[in-house]
Amino acid sequence: MTITSHAASVRFENVTKAYGAVVAVDRVSFTIEPGQLVTLLGPSGCGKTTTLRLIAGLEMATDGHIFIGENDVTKLPVTDRDVSMVFQSYALFPHMNVNENVGYGLKVSGMKKREAQERSQEALRLVGLSDLGERMPAALSGGQQQRVAVARALVLEPQVLLFDEPLSNLDAKLRRRVREEVREIQQNLGLTTVYVTHDQEEALAVSDRIVVMKNAAIAQEGTPRELYDHPANSFVADFIGDANIVEGTILGGGGETANVRIGCLEMELPCRSASAGPAKIAIRPEAIRLSAGDHGTGMRGTVRKATYLGNHLEYTIETEVGPLFVSDPHVEAPVAPGEIVGVQFEHRGVTLINDPSDDAERASESSPQ
Amino acid sequence: MMSFHRVLHDERVWSFALVAPALVTVGLLFIYPLGFSAVSAFSAEEGGWTFANFIKAFDLYSNDILFTVVIVSLSTVLIGFFAIAIGGYLTLGENPYAVAILKWLYRWPLFIPFIVAAQLMRTFLAKNGLMNNLIVGSGLLEPMQTQSFLDWRGIVITFVWKQTPFVALLVAGAMASLDRSMIESARNLGASRIRILVEIILPQVRPTIVVGLILSFVVMMSVLSVPIMINAQTPTMLTVDMAFRINAYGDYGVANALGFISYLMTGVVAWIYLRQGVRQGAAP
Ligand SMILES: Nc1ncnc2c1ncn2[C@@H]1O[C@H](COP(=O)(O)OP(=O)(O)OP(=O)(O)O)[C@@H](O)[C@H]1O
Ligand SMILES: [Mg+2]
Repeated sequence: MTITSHAASVRFENVTKAYGAVVAVDRVSFTIEPGQLVTLLGPSGCGKTTTLRLIAGLEMATDGHIFIGENDVTKLPVTDRDVSMVFQSYALFPHMNVNENVGYGLKVSGMKKREAQERSQEALRLVGLSDLGERMPAALSGGQQQRVAVARALVLEPQVLLFDEPLSNLDAKLRRRVREEVREIQQNLGLTTVYVTHDQEEALAVSDRIVVMKNAAIAQEGTPRELYDHPANSFVADFIGDANIVEGTILGGGGETANVRIGCLEMELPCRSASAGPAKIAIRPEAIRLSAGDHGTGMRGTVRKATYLGNHLEYTIETEVGPLFVSDPHVEAPVAPGEIVGVQFEHRGVTLINDPSDDAERASESSPQ
Repeated sequence: MMSFHRVLHDERVWSFALVAPALVTVGLLFIYPLGFSAVSAFSAEEGGWTFANFIKAFDLYSNDILFTVVIVSLSTVLIGFFAIAIGGYLTLGENPYAVAILKWLYRWPLFIPFIVAAQLMRTFLAKNGLMNNLIVGSGLLEPMQTQSFLDWRGIVITFVWKQTPFVALLVAGAMASLDRSMIESARNLGASRIRILVEIILPQVRPTIVVGLILSFVVMMSVLSVPIMINAQTPTMLTVDMAFRINAYGDYGVANALGFISYLMTGVVAWIYLRQGVRQGAAP
């Protein structure tokens, strides 16, 4: 007996969910291909959990359509959807032992007891808990409880597997390990998985694609690389990794690139359909090069703050385009606060943000520290 | 001065001071009257020990003893059923308006004294009472076909009506404090609402249900007004017999013997209660 997958795609078409006046999900559309792991990433309250619950059928959409595979499941009740969810609190049944917890969904579906037992065993083996079948949930560590919850969801071989911040109750070390295990199982079984997190590092680490949400809507969708290298707006730039958002000017350009002035520096940046005028530019902290001593022509800055963090140094540099947050791997040659340094930008890490509706202020307000 | 301070800081003294009022209350109001009535149940009028009171009590009232056990047990079972149904609907109900209305309505009988409840039921359940009038009015029965419910059924209905809210209140509270996502995860695994109630919720709130039912069992054992007002003919409940022995004959011996028998019945359920408490306390 092995656990396989019946992976199906998930498609949202203009889905809206409103609780009275509160719109938790606002005309959201996306498609998740079968076998992919997609994370919903965003700050607290942006509608991630609600989106997940809409897929599971624990909430019903106010408007729009939801498809799983070819089927329109918009009105299908939770019990009839072939979707398994791993809850943030794990939600194990405290009066049932591990075997009974894992086998509950099979029992409900009317599977024969022996077959159900074998399947549960197999699911527990997958998550590495074969020996703990007789334990009660209260006698398990947080990480073990989490795996039981995963096994309980896997055992039904669902079309879609959902995780709502599954690692938030684990300590940092365990979090890293469990997320790798989850990813491994997901890839081995080829499960369609939707994974909610507000931790951008976790999202970058496990995802095939990331859907960044903001204020109940999608801010950007793409592969981790696309989001990191080409954020569509300053919110995404700041949320996925850190970014300094500065004002610049598009001097002109054509086709795929644009000439941009940032303070006294000029750069050619990739860009579609740029029109001359003011623009926002996102600069990654690790794309800023500092050089000690006064460099005649380039941009100059004054070190305001320097923090030693073991494998790198963090600086706050006061420049003509405002304060810049810098991450510098050259720990052997620290620069002291008060010194004047030359500032340069590496191309790969500077992005022209080409979104007319962009509002940098709001982005940095709603992103976590 | 020093030693006084030490006394003040001695935890044992404080903890004793804290439980002392409770101990005194239990002693004065429970142990003493219980002991007194037990002793007098076994005392002969001329002095000395005897079983005569019990023999007489069984002679005269064995039917009533049985009647009491059956009525109170049946009521307890029905109360349990309805309390679980109400709690279950409040926890799992789909229609928020229905849930809100039920939540608002079900507690009312709690605030009505037993004697008023009995009076209400008399006018409701009598042969030409409100219930039968409604049934006749709706054309379901002819006036001649109606019957009075003012017998054992009346007592059971009154008990259930009066005590269900109390147990439902406890049970609904316990159900509400369960982790919502546990119920949702059971739904997600495909379980129906009934199944969730029986397999997920009930096992976790069972201690609360047992406690609620035991408390209402004890209350029903000691209610005099309901059986007197609804059904004072034989067979009736022990409380009526005790009042009768005392009021009509001044026969405290047999009354105390009947009281002692009631104590034994409630003692059995109290024992279950205590065991439940011990098990809960011992649970990890
Ligand atoms: N049952 C509800 N009734 C009313 N409003 C709700 C309900 N559930 C969620 N909301 C609102 O919908 C919005 C989105 O909530 P949601 O739980 O989806 O956020 P989230 O992205 O999961 O946040 P977090 O990271 O904090 O878990 C919030 O503003 C929240 O207050
Ligand atoms: Mg959430």
